[in-house]
Amino acid sequence: MKRSLMGKFMILNILLVAWLILGWAGESRAEVLLRVGMNSADVGQLDPHLTSKTPDVALLQWMFNGLVRFKPGSMDPRNIEPDLAEKWTSSPDGKIWTFELRKGVKFHRDYGELTAEDVVFSLQRAMNPKTSAFTSDFAQVKTVEAANPYTVKITLTNPVPFLLGLVSNYHAGMIVSKKAVEKMGEKFITNPIGTGPFMFEEYKAKQYVSCVAHKQYFRGAPTIDKIIYRYIPSTSSRELAFRSGEIDLFYGDRDQRWVERMRGYKDTVIDVFGPGEHRSLHLNMTIKPFDDIRVRRAVAHAINRDEMVQFLGKDVAEPAWSIVPNGYLGQTTEGIPKYEYNPEKAKALLKEAGYPGGFSTKVMITNVESLLKPMQVVQEQLRKVGIQIELEVLEHATWHAQIRKNLSAMVLYGAARFPVADAYLSQFYHSRSIIGTPKAVTNFSHTKAADKEIDDARTETNQKKQLELWKSAQQKIMTECAAIPVFELKQVFGRRANLDYGNVLEGSLNLGPVIDEKSHFK
Amino acid sequence: MIKFVLNRFLLSIPTLLAILTIVFLIARVIPGDPASVILGDSASQEALENLRHRLGLDQSLIQQYIQFITGVFRGNLGDSLVSGTSVMREVLNVLPYTIDLTIAGVLIGIVFGVPLGILTALYRNSFLDFIARILSLIGLSFPAFYSAILLIIVFSLQLGWFPVISSGNLLDPVQRLHHLILPACNLGLIMVAYVTRATRSSMLDVLREDYMRTAKAKGIPGMVILFRHALRNALIPIITVIGLYIGVLVGNSVLTEIVFNRPGLGKLIIGALNQRDYTMLQGLMVVYSIIIVITNLITDLTYGFSDPRVKYS
Repeated sequence: MKRSLMGKFMILNILLVAWLILGWAGESRAEVLLRVGMNSADVGQLDPHLTSKTPDVALLQWMFNGLVRFKPGSMDPRNIEPDLAEKWTSSPDGKIWTFELRKGVKFHRDYGELTAEDVVFSLQRAMNPKTSAFTSDFAQVKTVEAANPYTVKITLTNPVPFLLGLVSNYHAGMIVSKKAVEKMGEKFITNPIGTGPFMFEEYKAKQYVSCVAHKQYFRGAPTIDKIIYRYIPSTSSRELAFRSGEIDLFYGDRDQRWVERMRGYKDTVIDVFGPGEHRSLHLNMTIKPFDDIRVRRAVAHAINRDEMVQFLGKDVAEPAWSIVPNGYLGQTTEGIPKYEYNPEKAKALLKEAGYPGGFSTKVMITNVESLLKPMQVVQEQLRKVGIQIELEVLEHATWHAQIRKNLSAMVLYGAARFPVADAYLSQFYHSRSIIGTPKAVTNFSHTKAADKEIDDARTETNQKKQLELWKSAQQKIMTECAAIPVFELKQVFGRRANLDYGNVLEGSLNLGPVIDEKSHFK
Repeated sequence: MIKFVLNRFLLSIPTLLAILTIVFLIARVIPGDPASVILGDSASQEALENLRHRLGLDQSLIQQYIQFITGVFRGNLGDSLVSGTSVMREVLNVLPYTIDLTIAGVLIGIVFGVPLGILTALYRNSFLDFIARILSLIGLSFPAFYSAILLIIVFSLQLGWFPVISSGNLLDPVQRLHHLILPACNLGLIMVAYVTRATRSSMLDVLREDYMRTAKAKGIPGMVILFRHALRNALIPIITVIGLYIGVLVGNSVLTEIVFNRPGLGKLIIGALNQRDYTMLQGLMVVYSIIIVITNLITDLTYGFSDPRVKYS
């Protein structure tokens, strides 16, 4: 009895001392910690070749590099700069690309120096459907070879619209360590190894991923020692945690009122940046009455973009006039049919099509607010010209499955893709991508109007001609009025005023700010 | 008594089997595909099919079902479709948080609810009764996420006493308690309301009984009447309500967990549902069912302690 009491006392004592030491040690070390709050309940997949989800790619970009990179803070394809490759050349016919690698680049932990072998392995992994979700991007790549330990040669069957994009620090272009993948196999997902400024440290399910500085990063050791990337799915919780000083950087609410309110707090900066997630209203031409072009045009004239942008907010939204998002290479509004807001014209077109009193139709929409709210605005706008929309609000994953089964007459869809017109045109407007077909992606309207232009542009080496083809594709699809571009919604992040990214954040293809060796607290 | 416990466990097996079958089927009937949720909307069909194959989703329903059920009876809940980690491990990781929160919520409910219920029964239709009834009605109808945000604004932002991210380190008892208080109060609020109402109505019934008048006539002191005669007799319905609501509480903790960023079973199940993580969903249902069976059993056993007439055979 006495002994056990003593024992309890001892344990208590030890705990107390340990607690004091730990607490003291924690305070004395001036570790620069960046705490991030992300809009997600959990991690998806920490493998750059498998995931395209915001919470994953925004994090992975801090751990990996591509052969080339988008200038930090920019998503302009014209601002591509060297990353793991120091320089590159291409053959006159655009079919052979040679990349000279930077020497002395170290992988995380003890995975050694990056060589051409890793690059070859990584790109081949990205082309393999068993290990990659982006194989279709590499359809024209014939071989990837190592000419010597620091030279990589890529041979194409046909030239592609933008090869540098494929090997940039985005999606499948991220270079992984061959040794690490071979050693860990399927476990690589929970233990990613790259060359980036931060390396993976720990994952706590449903809580956070932590990363530590990669001291041997080839651009120099980062100033920030550690990043804790917390999964905080509730917007109000992220905001409250930020205001109470528990996080420094967080995914915001893409809502004007929220942005304005947050900007009113001291010590708070709200960044609004690209890419805008483009939203088009796809009209399913296999469902009556949308088989009639007059009806489609009537819908187009009934959409009031100014009102929509006013509703969503001038800082976070902008109107869209082309089916290809603003800022993408090849996007244009010149010479493209523009369906201005004109309810009278809409009514006249409906009358001409045999629907003088309008009609009603069923439309499915997700319960995710960033799509549901705009769809309700569309519903209201169409009601004014006599088109009654019965909205069927579905849970998000259910909605995704149903709209791919050809069940909704209209699909308001949003996405951010690689900023070259081809990505959008191929996935949304090529007949190959029609929903319900074997190679289906997201062609909800069933348009085939511009197949030839899209295909030809893919292999066109003369950039001027390529731009012409893309323009003509946009023209044809807009003339057919298969889809109506409505608006774009930008990315919103909040941060402490003293957090300096080290770059000017205008756009980020990886959908989150770039945190690298230059980022620091002022 | 042991026989009774064993019996109850055996009887719960068919129920469990029925629940599992229903969950298995429902999970597959709702539209939505785990593979496309995992890979995102620009994944090629080829990649999707490969993933489906890897996850075993291309097998027939019967095959998947048999695999699942035999797994459960071997104590293996399988691996999460999304993260690839073992379902059991994920559950065990968050279970302490859920148990902490539930027990704390129930304790708050009992500590505040029972006395409040007794008082309102004793002073029926008084001002106190009136106020307490209104408050418990508010407690019942107040959305948990809203009360959670109010608590955070007052106690975390204004006063700075508690953190917003309440996922305290389990190995640090001080931090564990510190991070538990606000979420527990939030959850306890509902429990206080339930327990107050149950105690009040049960006490009112007992107070009307003839033996209460007899006890008073015999000159037994008020406190003894109240606790030994009235409360003890009123206890069984109160225990029933508490037992019943422990199950509800485990489910209700979802909103509290989300707002306070606590790991827990509720958050796990919402995540699994959104991502169509079938194996995780099924595994969680097994765990939930077991928790309900155990709480019901404990409730039944507590009856015996409060009322010696209850026999277990």
